[in-house]
Amino acid sequence: MTEKHLPYEHELDATLYKPIYHTGKGYYLTVAVLLAVIVWALYMFYMQLRTGLGLTGMAQPISWGFYIVNFVFFIGISHAGTLISAILRLSKAEWRRPITRMAEVITAIVLAIGGLHPIIDLGRPDRMLNLLTSGRLQSPLLWDVTSITAYFTASTVYLYVPMIPDIARLRDQGGKMKWLYTFMAWGFTGTERQKHILNRAINILMVMVIPIAVSVHTVISYIFSMTLQPGWHSTIFGPYFVVGAIFSGIAALLIVMIAFRKAFHLEAYLKEIHFKYLSTLMLIMSIIWFYFTFSEYLTGVFGDEPHEMDIIMYKFTGPFAVFFWGMVVCNFVIPMVLLAFKKFKTMTGILVASIAVVTGMWLERLIIVVPSLANPRMDLPMGIYIPTATEWALFAGGIAVFILGFMLFAKMFPLISIWEIEEGRKEGLKEVEERIHSYLPSTPGTT
Amino acid sequence: MAKWTMAIDLDRCTGCGACMVACKTENNVPIVTPEEAHEGRVMNWMEMITEYEGDYPNLSVRRMPKPCFHCDNPPCTRVCPVGATYRNEEGLVAQIYHRCIGCRYCMVACPFTAKVFNWHEPIWMEGADTCYNPDVSRRMVGVVEKCSFCAHRLTKVKEEADGEDRSNNDGEYLPACAEICPADAITFGDLEDRTSAVYGKSRDYRAHRIMEDLGVEPKVYYLSKRT
Amino acid sequence: MEISRRDFVKLIGGISGSVALGGCALDEVLEIPERIVRRMRTGPGLETWKNTVCGLCPAGCGMSVRLIDSVPVGIKGNGQYPVNQGGLCPLGLNALHLLYHPDRLKGPVRRVGNPGSGKWEPVSWDEALTTIADRLTELRRSGRSREVAVLGNTERGVMEEHLRRFLTSYGSPNYFRFSPEQNDSVPFALVHGRPDIPSFDLLGAGLVLSFGANFLEDGWSPVYYTKLYSRHREQQTRYIQVESRMSMTASNAERWIPVRPGTYGALALGIAYVLIREDLFNERFVRNDTFGFEDWVDTAGTKHIGFRNIVLGNYYPEKVSEITGVPAATILELGRLVGSTPKTVVIGGSGAGDNTNGTFSQMAVQSLNALLGNYDPGGGVFFHGHAPLDRFPDLTLDGPAKAGIRAEPLGGPGKDAYPLTGFSIDRFAKNVAAEEPYPLSVLFLYGGNPLFQALNHQDLSAALKKVPLVVSFDTIINETSEYANLVLPEHTFLENWGEVSDVPTVGFSHLGIRQPVVEALHDTRNAGDVFIELARRIGGAVGSSAPFTDYLGGLKHAVRGLYRSGEGSVVTRGQKTRWLEYLQQRGWQSGRYSSFDEFWDQLLTHGGWWNPVRRDGKAGGKFPTPSGKYEFYSRKLMDELHARADRGGTTDSRGNLESLLSRLDIAARGDNVALPHHEPVPYEGDRPLYLVTFQVLPNRDGVGAALPMMQEMFGYAVHAHWESWVEIHPETAAAAGISSGDWTWVESSVGSVRVRARVTPGIMPDVVAIPFGMGHTSYGRYARGYGVNPNTILRNLHDRLSGKPATGATKIRISRAV
Ligand SMILES: Nc1nc2c(c(=O)[nH]1)N[C@H]1C(S)=C(S)[C@@H](COP(=O)(O)OP(=O)(O)OC[C@H]3O[C@@H](n4cnc5c(=O)[nH]c(N)nc54)[C@H](O)[C@@H]3O)O[C@H]1N2
Ligand SMILES: Nc1nc2c(c(=O)[nH]1)N[C@H]1C(S)=C(S)[C@@H](COP(=O)(O)OP(=O)(O)OC[C@H]3O[C@@H](n4cnc5c(=O)[nH]c(N)nc54)[C@H](O)[C@@H]3O)O[C@H]1N2
Ligand code: SF4
Ligand code: SF4
Ligand code: SF4
Ligand code: SF4
Ligand code: SF4
Ligand SMILES: [Mo]
Repeated sequence: MTEKHLPYEHELDATLYKPIYHTGKGYYLTVAVLLAVIVWALYMFYMQLRTGLGLTGMAQPISWGFYIVNFVFFIGISHAGTLISAILRLSKAEWRRPITRMAEVITAIVLAIGGLHPIIDLGRPDRMLNLLTSGRLQSPLLWDVTSITAYFTASTVYLYVPMIPDIARLRDQGGKMKWLYTFMAWGFTGTERQKHILNRAINILMVMVIPIAVSVHTVISYIFSMTLQPGWHSTIFGPYFVVGAIFSGIAALLIVMIAFRKAFHLEAYLKEIHFKYLSTLMLIMSIIWFYFTFSEYLTGVFGDEPHEMDIIMYKFTGPFAVFFWGMVVCNFVIPMVLLAFKKFKTMTGILVASIAVVTGMWLERLIIVVPSLANPRMDLPMGIYIPTATEWALFAGGIAVFILGFMLFAKMFPLISIWEIEEGRKEGLKEVEERIHSYLPSTPGTT
Repeated sequence: MAKWTMAIDLDRCTGCGACMVACKTENNVPIVTPEEAHEGRVMNWMEMITEYEGDYPNLSVRRMPKPCFHCDNPPCTRVCPVGATYRNEEGLVAQIYHRCIGCRYCMVACPFTAKVFNWHEPIWMEGADTCYNPDVSRRMVGVVEKCSFCAHRLTKVKEEADGEDRSNNDGEYLPACAEICPADAITFGDLEDRTSAVYGKSRDYRAHRIMEDLGVEPKVYYLSKRT
Repeated sequence: MEISRRDFVKLIGGISGSVALGGCALDEVLEIPERIVRRMRTGPGLETWKNTVCGLCPAGCGMSVRLIDSVPVGIKGNGQYPVNQGGLCPLGLNALHLLYHPDRLKGPVRRVGNPGSGKWEPVSWDEALTTIADRLTELRRSGRSREVAVLGNTERGVMEEHLRRFLTSYGSPNYFRFSPEQNDSVPFALVHGRPDIPSFDLLGAGLVLSFGANFLEDGWSPVYYTKLYSRHREQQTRYIQVESRMSMTASNAERWIPVRPGTYGALALGIAYVLIREDLFNERFVRNDTFGFEDWVDTAGTKHIGFRNIVLGNYYPEKVSEITGVPAATILELGRLVGSTPKTVVIGGSGAGDNTNGTFSQMAVQSLNALLGNYDPGGGVFFHGHAPLDRFPDLTLDGPAKAGIRAEPLGGPGKDAYPLTGFSIDRFAKNVAAEEPYPLSVLFLYGGNPLFQALNHQDLSAALKKVPLVVSFDTIINETSEYANLVLPEHTFLENWGEVSDVPTVGFSHLGIRQPVVEALHDTRNAGDVFIELARRIGGAVGSSAPFTDYLGGLKHAVRGLYRSGEGSVVTRGQKTRWLEYLQQRGWQSGRYSSFDEFWDQLLTHGGWWNPVRRDGKAGGKFPTPSGKYEFYSRKLMDELHARADRGGTTDSRGNLESLLSRLDIAARGDNVALPHHEPVPYEGDRPLYLVTFQVLPNRDGVGAALPMMQEMFGYAVHAHWESWVEIHPETAAAAGISSGDWTWVESSVGSVRVRARVTPGIMPDVVAIPFGMGHTSYGRYARGYGVNPNTILRNLHDRLSGKPATGATKIRISRAV
């Protein structure tokens, strides 16, 4: 089969265009599998709509389960993107260039998935509109709705705006879906004025998105900490959740980077140095996470309030001990060992550590939601929560949607911001040099 | 405004459970299937708490019937995103079943685990579906419910009192559980009315409220020589 | 008609109610007959209340049923009824579900398959009655009238009169009740000389010491006792509960004394030891009003040892402690407390009495009441008069009847068994199965469910298979009626006429009227009416034995006695204690009604009649025993045993007694036999743990299992639903590697059951307990298949004297089920 020569092949960054125009067998296979999972999940959800939440493993007193756990988890992952890329952009970290796009995509997709979770968790999803007609702004749940909507809007815009120059290029390449690119490029031709506006927009968004992102996870933590429930009613929950979110976000980002680096042969762009930097950041987050966890539990144990202790012991030695200690191992021990020693800090090591952290952070969400509910203050029987097929299906479905979303995105747009790389090549070096100079004490004669 | 309050004398209460059944039949609270029951989905507006104290053989047991406490400062209503649970001006904490979206936030926010959820469409097992109380609406799948202090009885009492151009008397508005209790352990009335029986009970030296330190101001007093 | 403002408001309330009812397409979901639905739709929706008496247990609480347009929609306690004063237990509150139960028989049925196959075909009343009447006529004609039996249950009063009368005039001695009352009364009959179960004055008591009487949870009238208990703070009454397991009563008591099963008589005697040794007993009463306390010499000059010396010689605290597992110090302390607290009342429960030594144990417990002089006027133990009901007119028996009733009853005491009983289920089953001394041709099962309740399941089912025609009156087919050939369903109590009077242990005489609060939903009949009809069809002297056209006629006849007596009064509000004083001042005459009809109307409106005045303090000043006194030494028992021993044949009367005692499996010898003593239970040595059973409030003896709400409620206090459990002490559980919620095998020499464990400190370490009432294999869709019936692993043993099933005589092994 003779391949049609496409214009992109002459480009400098041809590798980045390639996945858009070239689709392998494995791709279709993966999509098929993912679609199957999603259909399964949709069927289970349909059944749940028909019969009610009785199909889940939730009961009294554990009336929140996987859906809320996954809600917090997915929203946490979403901090990968926007927050990291915004912070890196803001701090003018040059190494950010090849990774911001991926981070932002993660955010947008995962946020959409996470945002749906409270809806699948509703007993009466048909009455969703009541939120508009009788919404009470005093309810933390409504803060969530508001802040997630805001975050979703901001982060999609923040994903979209820096994509415009790349979309314009794709439009100019011609080929499939030109109409879409034309529409999305918004008439961008790369004039200085346009570039200026674009940069201004990015800068504004970047600054805006950071507080929104922080607020989202803080507000999610408020769902719990605004109640009086032992194990939840804690003042550090806001920052704790935000830290956890960034932590899991970095891990998810690393996994995605490693996966697509391999799949799309992006070794030239995603260099070891990127992974080293990011994983060091993850290591730092791990330590901060540990610090928060430690403070949270130490104060709990020291306070020795009976109901609080019931829950702590439930986690330390009770039925949730496996999950609790598993979380500590995943979130702290493994990253510490793998990332603090040069010897282990290889690609594999980083991958393992990232998977551990994502798992660990999921466990953390589980450990926050379930034990507090399983140990009611009143002397009632403690519940056992065993998620059902429906909940597993919807969990798997969520992950499948995420992967599929990412793959579809990668089919349409470059995963690495081409123009930013170019910009880096062209202007970055000079700019950095100047910047470094500006940091240094001025040497006589050079002012 | 009245401040409807319940006092349960644990020194009188034997833990017979009649209040639980009176409540279920009065308020058409569904019976769930055995499988559901084993999964922890039994719906009781009035629950029975059993606590053991001491060591064998010097053991004492406390059985404590637990309705919704109709907190004056209810943590459950505060979190509801749609106002489907609210505290009315007479202090009754009510549920609006047709507005509830079933998020169960109020359930997890209640420190006393007083609320229950309709995990399935109530099926009204054959034979149990015949004699429900026409004064109380039946609930649907996906909504939260809980003890209402038998608010429908208040409506009736008010109607009757209005019809006779008088205000209602102490003890006239009596929830089903208080009415049936064979130990006369449950007193109900208006705490604002200094002459009411429940006011007297609430001032008893044995009276306390559960977890008063939470500051939710429960309107159910327990009387017990053991604290 | 004038409508008052109040009525108007009710009307409005009712209308909104009826709209709610109609709006739900009721007739599609529910089993309410069409005519009622129609009325509900079209009628004005009026709310009415009707008083009746609960029929789900012998306590007979007064209840008010709420009707909207004649459709029962709710139940509450009748506040005027003195027994329950507005309270009800969970089961009674749920009675409407029995009324509307989907598995109720809609009319008579005939079994077409094997027992248990569940294959039945409908028959008409006429056909069913013709079949039975023809068979009865034929038997009578061939002189086999004795081959007909009625196995009743807890029925008393008018219904009992109907059944007994029918059978007597027909010519059979075989009317039996498999009921608690009959066998429970044996020990009381021995010591008091009268079979009545006495009442206990809990209100006036300073201390209530209960030996396994779980009176708040079961007992004769849990609601009545709950009412009394609830005033213990005002009355300064203290409660102490002696029991192997911490029952609801124990958990409400100030103190729980765990005791080894089968030994509570020993503990009672240990306390008696302290009372006697420390001179804490009522000397005057013991001297004047008891027999057998001191050593005595009979007319023949034989010396007999008295209660005092037996107790002092054998029941010192250390020894009792060894038997019972109660520390000696505790026994001393209890004795001193009992002796020094004014007005201590001692109650013995059938729970603890349900053992092979139950009668002796109950005698031991009652001896404490005697030592304390509780029978004095105003004392803690008393009897009261009976409601003065008119008896049915005398019977004139014809020849066949006279011959028939002389036959030996099939369920009476045997040569070697149960000498003191009027009925033993053990004897009955064995005799019927063996066709000894004659076969049984027709058996009527009225109420009760012996195949589920009794311990001799094998014998009983063999017996039922032997009977060619078994007729049951059950409303829902249960384990026993699976064996019936015909089931003639009775109304539920809500559709029926009836009465409940003088419930044992309730502290005053009373009568509750049961009236139909709703027209019969199905083609069912009152069992009394059925027997009247049968008598009429048989005709002759049997036919004329039924003096009333229907059950209601008989009921009214009986109640006329109350009206004429002028005693007591129709229950009304606000009568409690002040009313009592008032009545006493007036010489108890208070009933003033211008006619019987007015009296009857009042009864129906208010629900009943009562006479709160205690009549007989000390059984009328005198105990109707052979000695005329309270008998520590039961002459009646000794006479009975001697009489039986002498019938043994040889001239060696002492040898005869000896061999009778060993055949009865009684270990005591000499005077000990007739005195309260500790008779060891023949436990099997190779199993480590005792098994006791208990009854829970929502279930009664198994009736609650038919109702889904009661199934859900079954273990409400431990949050167990629709299932049985086994209670086990933490130490025992730990040793066996069992934790709460684990499935276990509980295994006796008879069999094993698989049941979930509940680890609880409220039980002795060497005892496990399983609630009774679950594990049905029949009895409708909600009962069948849930939980286990502990009776399937209990040994087939009975109290040696009274024949009461010994539910506490089995030891078990427990292990984790995998
Ligand atoms: N292990 C163990 N065994 C026990 C006991 C225990 O504590 N432990 N308790 C023992 C004792 S004390 C007793 S008294 C027996 C109880 O023995 P039963 O009195 O036989 O017990 P129930 O199961 O209550 O039987 C009542 C039956 O009557 C029927 N029935 C209900 N209402 C009506 C009606 O209106 N009319 C008619 N005709 N029938 C009706 C129902 O179908 C029901 O099956 O069990 C004994 N067995
Ligand atoms: N609600 C309700 N009311 C009922 C009934 C019912 O089932 N439910 N049944 C009715 C009938 S038919 C009857 S006969 C009465 C029975 O009423 P009770 O006489 O109270 O009989 P049980 O509940 O069988 O037993 C009482 C307690 O004795 C304890 N026990 C068992 N064995 C021993 C022993 O060897 N020694 C000692 N010390 N304690 C022991 C058990 O722990 C049990 O809790 O109740 C009647 N009323
Ligand atoms: S009905 Fe009365 S005695 Fe029975 S459990 Fe309820 S409060 Fe206690
Ligand atoms: S007890 Fe719970 S449900 Fe009831 S008012 Fe208080 S917080 Fe709300
Ligand atoms: S479950 Fe219903 S009542 Fe409770 S918080 Fe949610 S919407 Fe409000
Ligand atoms: S007050 Fe009414 S609703 Fe509340 S527990 Fe009592 S009976 Fe039930
Ligand atoms: S104790 Fe319960 S079952 Fe028995 S008569 Fe009373 S209400 Fe009915
Ligand atoms: Mo019984």
